[in-house]
Amino acid sequence: MDPRLHRVLDGELDRDQLPADLRAELERLERATALLAAAPAAGSVAARVLAAVHRPHRALAARVGQWLYERHAVTLKLRPIWSLALAAALALIAVLAGRGTGPAVLAAGEGIAQFVGRFPGAHSVEVVGSFNDWRSGSLPLTDDDQDGVWNAEVVLPAGEHQYMFVVDGEKWVVDPLAGRYVDDGFGRQNALMIVRPVVR
Amino acid sequence: MKVATLLFVVAAGPIGLAAQSVRGRLQGRVPESAIAAVDSLVRAAEMESLPSDPLVKKALEGGAKGVSADRIVLAVRQTAGQLHDARALLRRGQAGEPSADEIASVAAALGRGVPTPLGERMASALPGEPMGPALHAVADLVGHGFAQDSAVDLVVTAGQKGMRGLRLLDVASAAVAELQRGRTHAQAIADVRGGLPDVPSAPPAAPGVLNRLRRPPQGVRSPS
Amino acid sequence: MKVSSRVSPAAPDADVIARVLAGDADAFGVLIQRYEPGLLRFATRMLGSVDAGADAVAEGLVRAYRHLASCREPGRFRTWVYRIVANRCKSHLARRSAGDVSLEDVPAMPDPEDGEAALERAERLAQVSQALSRLSPEKREAFVLKHIEGMSYEEIAAATGARIPTLKMRVHRAREALLEALKEHA
Repeated sequence: MDPRLHRVLDGELDRDQLPADLRAELERLERATALLAAAPAAGSVAARVLAAVHRPHRALAARVGQWLYERHAVTLKLRPIWSLALAAALALIAVLAGRGTGPAVLAAGEGIAQFVGRFPGAHSVEVVGSFNDWRSGSLPLTDDDQDGVWNAEVVLPAGEHQYMFVVDGEKWVVDPLAGRYVDDGFGRQNALMIVRPVVR
Repeated sequence: MKVATLLFVVAAGPIGLAAQSVRGRLQGRVPESAIAAVDSLVRAAEMESLPSDPLVKKALEGGAKGVSADRIVLAVRQTAGQLHDARALLRRGQAGEPSADEIASVAAALGRGVPTPLGERMASALPGEPMGPALHAVADLVGHGFAQDSAVDLVVTAGQKGMRGLRLLDVASAAVAELQRGRTHAQAIADVRGGLPDVPSAPPAAPGVLNRLRRPPQGVRSPS
Repeated sequence: MKVSSRVSPAAPDADVIARVLAGDADAFGVLIQRYEPGLLRFATRMLGSVDAGADAVAEGLVRAYRHLASCREPGRFRTWVYRIVANRCKSHLARRSAGDVSLEDVPAMPDPEDGEAALERAERLAQVSQALSRLSPEKREAFVLKHIEGMSYEEIAAATGARIPTLKMRVHRAREALLEALKEHA
């Protein structure tokens, strides 16, 4: 394509300075973009957006915390086609509180991973990694005193786990405090955590 | 404290998650054009008795990070190569077939830049010792600027003085702590070597608030 | 759609945002009305599907509402919300084969008053849409923002995070590809 056409389309050259043949090409391109610029016959999404906006949205941590305090009994029949999406909605935690003392009972070969990060101004921080199939939405961090320091404690199998933080649902950040890093194979690095089993 | 108890009762049926196919796990999370290639790599790994879950997780990671299909397939292939190298290293150093967890652990250490010849040297010096923690200890030290040879010597010495498994990570932590106190690399190595096997253990991660403990979604496999 | 009666539809974006952040959720409706048509057009051309485009825009607008306080320059809300929707489109595309944009449900815009011209117009739109679908997502995005949404290169840079020289190259290549496609069907 003649560079003069680009210059006209970028507003760097007046169209009157184009010869007739180039002006014809320009008009062809402009007719094409005019066709594309016609709005498709899509219904408005306003109603569904405002419905979501008005739905009470407690912070995920508060919702998880509320759920943990309530008793839930769930009976499931497993099927081979049972999807991870369904599995992700359920979690098994057994907590025995011996009159307020004593650690949580963890299964053999499990340990506690502590995730901490400083993200002042963030609205949400979560950890995604090999332990949750890199799936968003399952392990949020919380900043209860709103000082910009977000943390979570997670029960994980003992051993190596790779992970990253996701800030505000979009920004992937390597944990600067991890101390151990490994190339992710995609041009970036993952943090690596080695979880020790809790000694009984 | 109020007790929060969640009961999870499984009624009959085969374990759905274990039986979930690779394609099923990848569908909707990984570009369609990568799924067949990844499935093929996973099956090849399984035929060679290599752990396959790290390969599936690598593909899921690529999908979550918005990476192109080609790069996902390449990364999965590279991960398969690392698992292969890890198993070869382990076989050289021990009798019997290494477990999937051991292979994955050593592969992760190799992925941190520990060269294979160093790994082989450690396997020879510490026969029968789980190589994962030992190699990670070396990687920890090298990551803080210690020379590879010095790092290997320190970890081997610790192993020969009876320190095992994750305690070798404490050896690396102790040397790093000396460095952070202002000692030179050589001084830090000498100080820790001189104190072996009396190296402080890492403090256990005590849960601060019990009811905030979380778990990842059910069905998480062994560490990758 | 219920829109806050306390906000003028002509109020600048920054004023509307301040209103929303002060607790008037309905005021967000002003921003939806203002930007929805362009966002739908953009997302539909990116994804080649009216339904998928609507989903991406709805998701993006909800996300924009929830993170409104992090919009550091309320006066540049337009590029900020386009960035969010562009990211939604990328997520949708990542779940399909690269470059596989469905043309089936992007209808032409028939002119009910002129049957023959409408048919010709529909054919030409199909040709152009197909040419657009063959572009890489990055080139398609840059072309649509430049020539359909009418953004300047500076605005496109703010919306995509790419550098201006890179964007110019993408737009130029996209134009060349489209012209070539139009010549084939001339």
